[in-house]
Amino acid sequence: MITKADGGAGRPVIELEDIHKIYRVGTELVRALRGVTRTIYENEYVAIMGPSGSGKSTLMNILGCLDIPTSGAYRLAGKDVSRLSQSKLARIRGRKIGFVFQSFELLPRTSALKNVELPLSYARVPKRRQRAMEALKRVDLLDRYYHHPNQLSGGQKQRVAIARALAQHPDIILADEPTGNLDSKTSEEIMCVFDSLHADGQTIIVVTHEDSIAARCHRVIRLMDGQIVEDRYNVASDSGAYEEAGAGTVHVGAAEGAGVA
Amino acid sequence: MNALVAVPRLVWKAVTLPPALLLSLAGNVLTALVQIWANKIRSLLTVLGIIIAVMSIIVVVSLTQGFGDYFTNFLRNLGTNLMVVYPQWLRGPRGEWLRPAELTVDDIFAVDRLSAASRRTAPVIFMQGTVEYGRRQLAGVDVRGSSELFQPIRNFYVDEGRFFSATDVDAAMPVCVLGREILRKLECDESILGDFVLIDSQRFKVMGLLEAKGSFMGENQDEIAVIPWTVALKMYPERRNYMAFYVEAMSEPQIPESEAQVTRALRQRHGLGPGDADDFGIFKQDQILQEFGRVRTVATSVLAGIVSISLLVGGIGIMNVMLVSVTERTREIGLRKSVGARRRDILLQFLTEAVVLSTLGGAIGIALGYSICYIATLHPQMVEVNVPLWSVALALGFSAGVGVFFGIIPAFKAAILHPIDALRHE
Ligand SMILES: Nc1ncnc2c1ncn2[C@@H]1O[C@H](COP(=O)(O)OP(=O)(O)O)[C@@H](O)[C@H]1O
Ligand SMILES: [Mg+2]
Repeated sequence: MITKADGGAGRPVIELEDIHKIYRVGTELVRALRGVTRTIYENEYVAIMGPSGSGKSTLMNILGCLDIPTSGAYRLAGKDVSRLSQSKLARIRGRKIGFVFQSFELLPRTSALKNVELPLSYARVPKRRQRAMEALKRVDLLDRYYHHPNQLSGGQKQRVAIARALAQHPDIILADEPTGNLDSKTSEEIMCVFDSLHADGQTIIVVTHEDSIAARCHRVIRLMDGQIVEDRYNVASDSGAYEEAGAGTVHVGAAEGAGVA
Repeated sequence: MNALVAVPRLVWKAVTLPPALLLSLAGNVLTALVQIWANKIRSLLTVLGIIIAVMSIIVVVSLTQGFGDYFTNFLRNLGTNLMVVYPQWLRGPRGEWLRPAELTVDDIFAVDRLSAASRRTAPVIFMQGTVEYGRRQLAGVDVRGSSELFQPIRNFYVDEGRFFSATDVDAAMPVCVLGREILRKLECDESILGDFVLIDSQRFKVMGLLEAKGSFMGENQDEIAVIPWTVALKMYPERRNYMAFYVEAMSEPQIPESEAQVTRALRQRHGLGPGDADDFGIFKQDQILQEFGRVRTVATSVLAGIVSISLLVGGIGIMNVMLVSVTERTREIGLRKSVGARRRDILLQFLTEAVVLSTLGGAIGIALGYSICYIATLHPQMVEVNVPLWSVALALGFSAGVGVFFGIIPAFKAAILHPIDALRHE
């Protein structure tokens, strides 16, 4: 029964209770998530792993308020968001969540700066340019702010995408296989950006297939057929707090019991 | 939420747009322009229908307006409240044409006495003649035999020298006044005043020169010579029984009354029974206006036809290209939604794009319409054409309306896309 809560290191950002997601394909039902109960705390750096089709993206989409669960409760920063309307969800996506995609998803024919400003303009925040420039600076791309995506390398594009996710100072950054389209050297560059964001206190969840990437995170959640089969804190992490919290595998049943209680 | 519920809700939300949203309109317009510029050729082909529609509006409206002004101006120049009474041709028992009915000076004088609603009358004899001055001669000149009242009735005044007087008419003096075009063609100047010319080989003293009226429908109104009708009858005695005359009504509302009195007086004098047709005709200005009104109606219906068909074609083109655009940019829509765009933001973005596209088409159409009107006025016999501002506003309104009407379906399609489905789109 060892969880982060016992360590007392931070407030919960994400609280999932018995989340189910069922897709209907024709007459068939696909159970993408089958009862996920988990809590993720402030400033955690989490890797989600699992074979293809195990429900990682489905889970990320629900965490990112891009989709709602078929059943179960999801509290984001203490607020229940599992039954909100489309427009409320859009608002939360714009203000509390930064999404980073595998294929960057930058607007073509639009400068890096304008791309980063996009969430700010939908949220109608003032001083967009300044805030976007700060975000670009954070990913070390200040000198490229006027470049269009077709003038940037893959790694640079993904850094622009990270800046876009950062611009609103979200509660959490969700990255679904952010290095999936990049070579290993560029992947390293991107992961360094995430590392440094985390060092500044950002909560980050990364879906990955690569053990080397999972190894730099502090917590690894493994999914299988829509269920969590493993949730452990990395021993080799650079933060003492996690080691104190008790490194090693948390068994599924125990962890879920703790989450529900 | 299924689409059936979503669509009416979206309509409601779009209608109750908060002002802040309007501020983001500028951003949407910019996005739309970038998008349109990125697909220049496609956009141009798309708005072809709208270009044609708007161009037609501008050209047809301006031309009918131009000709309308021209006709009105011409009628004003012809003399206000003017009618021309002329003898009708008589038909035999088998419908064959016999000869003109008789219309004499006595008829004219009788009408002048009997018609209270008519301000004045003047006999007029229409002729074509040859004018000679020195060794130059000019054939096919309109020669009018009339009285001293020709000036006020026809609103056609002498501006150099003087018109012949009633005394000149009574005494059948061989005097004349000439139009400016005759001077120009005879290659002489105003020194001709007081000199003599030959009209159909008769000597006439030139007493005055008529003001220049310009041409109407390519026909010069200044190639005219006016002589006393008494002299004209001496030259062509056979016209004595087949005269025509001008009638000027007291005022515009009294034209029908004046016409009725003229008709009554002439029918009585000619001994026509209740079943007999008039043996004379009365030409009124409103006949010209009616004629022109018919032309205008035809032009307007042709315009309406062209415009509605091309607007329909243009609108469907816009809808089509917007549907393509939505499909092409499905991932972009997903991305926008994932960073906080609400359905109404997406709706407004694509609607703006459709409207900007159609309005740009409208602007091109206006430019082309202006150019065509300008080129038309380069023709020497063309009337003056001005593009009325309201037609430009109308054309722009139409094209923007088409953008809204035909853009709404693609915009809805984009707005109700589920973010995940959109992001998964290949
Ligand atoms: N929109 C959808 N419609 C139907 N089935 C889906 C949909 N999205 C995901 N699935 C199914 O849900 C399961 C989990 O998918 P996903 O979350 O994408 O897995 P992962 O990201 O771990 O590869 C898979 O079996 C997939 O086929
Ligand atoms: Mg996936």
